[in-house]
Amino acid sequence: MHNELKALLDMQTLESNKKQNSLDSNDQLSSNLPDFTTEAYKDAYSRINAIVIEGEQEAHDNYIAIATLIPQESEELTKLAKMELKHKRGFTACGKNLGVEADMVFAKEFFSKLHGNFGVALEKGNLTTCLLIQAILIEAFAISAYHVYIRVADPFAKKITQGVVKDEYLHLNYGQEWLKANLDSCKDELIKANKENLPLIKKMLDQVADDASALAMDREELMEEFMIAYQDTLVEIGLDNREIARMAMAAIS
Amino acid sequence: MFGLIGHSTSFEDAKKKASLLGFDHIADGDLDVWCMAPPQLVENVVVKSAVGITIEGSYIDSCFVPEMLSRFKTARRKVLNAMELAQKKGINITALGGFTSIIFENFNLLQHKQIRNTSLDWEKFTTGNTHTAWVICRQLELNAPKVGIDIKSATVAVVGATGDIGSAVCRWLTNKTGIGELLMVARQQEPLIALQKELDGGSIKNLDEALPLADIVVWVASMPKTMEIDVQNLKKPCLMIDGGYPKNLDEKFQGNDIHILKGGIVRFYNDIGWNMMELAEMENPQREMFACFAEAMILEFEKCHTNFSWGRNNITLEKMEFIGKASEKHGFSAIGLDKQKKPLAV
Repeated sequence: MHNELKALLDMQTLESNKKQNSLDSNDQLSSNLPDFTTEAYKDAYSRINAIVIEGEQEAHDNYIAIATLIPQESEELTKLAKMELKHKRGFTACGKNLGVEADMVFAKEFFSKLHGNFGVALEKGNLTTCLLIQAILIEAFAISAYHVYIRVADPFAKKITQGVVKDEYLHLNYGQEWLKANLDSCKDELIKANKENLPLIKKMLDQVADDASALAMDREELMEEFMIAYQDTLVEIGLDNREIARMAMAAIS
Repeated sequence: MFGLIGHSTSFEDAKKKASLLGFDHIADGDLDVWCMAPPQLVENVVVKSAVGITIEGSYIDSCFVPEMLSRFKTARRKVLNAMELAQKKGINITALGGFTSIIFENFNLLQHKQIRNTSLDWEKFTTGNTHTAWVICRQLELNAPKVGIDIKSATVAVVGATGDIGSAVCRWLTNKTGIGELLMVARQQEPLIALQKELDGGSIKNLDEALPLADIVVWVASMPKTMEIDVQNLKKPCLMIDGGYPKNLDEKFQGNDIHILKGGIVRFYNDIGWNMMELAEMENPQREMFACFAEAMILEFEKCHTNFSWGRNNITLEKMEFIGKASEKHGFSAIGLDKQKKPLAV
């Protein structure tokens, strides 16, 4: 108990420090912004920025590919794909703005396993797996990373990322609606595909944790944001608490 | 709909509960896993009041545990994410239970209105402190005579007098209950002097001075474990109301004629049919709950969708009267000594 109390007293001290730090600003976390001009920041940014650019490009390609499995949805999916290219341009501008060259070789390798799994599923015509990988896992990964990034981004990138997040929810929603409507027939494949692919997302998060940290993005916060977006989607699709818990196990164990 | 945001009393406890509820992914996880776990809407309930009004509500576990208190960012996220979930679920009024409101206050979370794409609407949340303060006062009024203390001549010490609940208790005891003498104990002198001025009465004391003089002690501040108190110096009989969180007074004071009452706990007239209060270690989990939780239910029964208890030192006598009347009307009563175990002998 006294540890808790000590923590509470510490909290009060923290709070008064915090008040002093943020007296000059209404922006809730502005006092925690990193220095965007250091070499360490730019070095980490070259990989994170590349991941984002590559992620948006792959998302574009994936939506176009998914459209081949559901031609009747082609128009909608092409629209989503176009948005991803717009995002890619936005994030490319963010890197240029900081004078950073994106490390695209790193980014391609970063996505390679997930990319491979998507390719196999596409070839087999496993639409559920394709949607899980792109419209659920990658979109939730992106949304969570963007939410955390917005809090610590430079003003230029912040504005662009805020715009992107709004679109990404539409994409998450697309996969969600399809899986919800077809849950009875796709549940088994969904669970199986999740078991194979969610651990990759966890590995990817771990792999960029140090670079993210150099950008003041906390690993714990990234993971929590991802779990929130992921869990929200599964709830919407119509899975119950126990099913979601079992699915989420793959990310944790 | 009403909402309750709660959490487990310890990490060990949290894991046991998660396992029972089927949240296997976090049940087996270490503290780091819990730090990353999203809030969970654990249970939905339908509650019918004593006057026949039926409401629905949800219990949200923030996945916070007291072991996270030293992790400032984590604790902040747990509270804000749980609040966001409550709002996303369309809940009209949600009570912040346990450490939730303490963290909200101490970390000044008012400045964190925007959570992802949700703008938190403070009107939809209540600390529940008004009801807690009223319940503590009722517990004092009803139980002091049972242990042979005459309220009208009793000396009452309020420890944590300048806090939100403490100041409301002082206000009520002075203006409504009518007690012999009020002793006010708190760390900071300035707000104590302001309170004394407001009440036009009460003596400012330190804890060592106040305890030997008091027939009744209301604790609304938690007590350091290292603090030594000589039970022999206390008055006999002495009624101690443990209104702090977490409730740990019974570890500290044991002795004949020292009566310890869990403060700020209410009992509903009927079984609720939920599992959650078992998790909060209530003695009668189907009926008992923290008064702050009950406040959200009362506000929903009354269709009073507003942040009834919010900020510090905003609890007026009128608000306490309103919530107290509504509390009794809908079937809540303050738990008393007879509902608890007998005081332990030395």
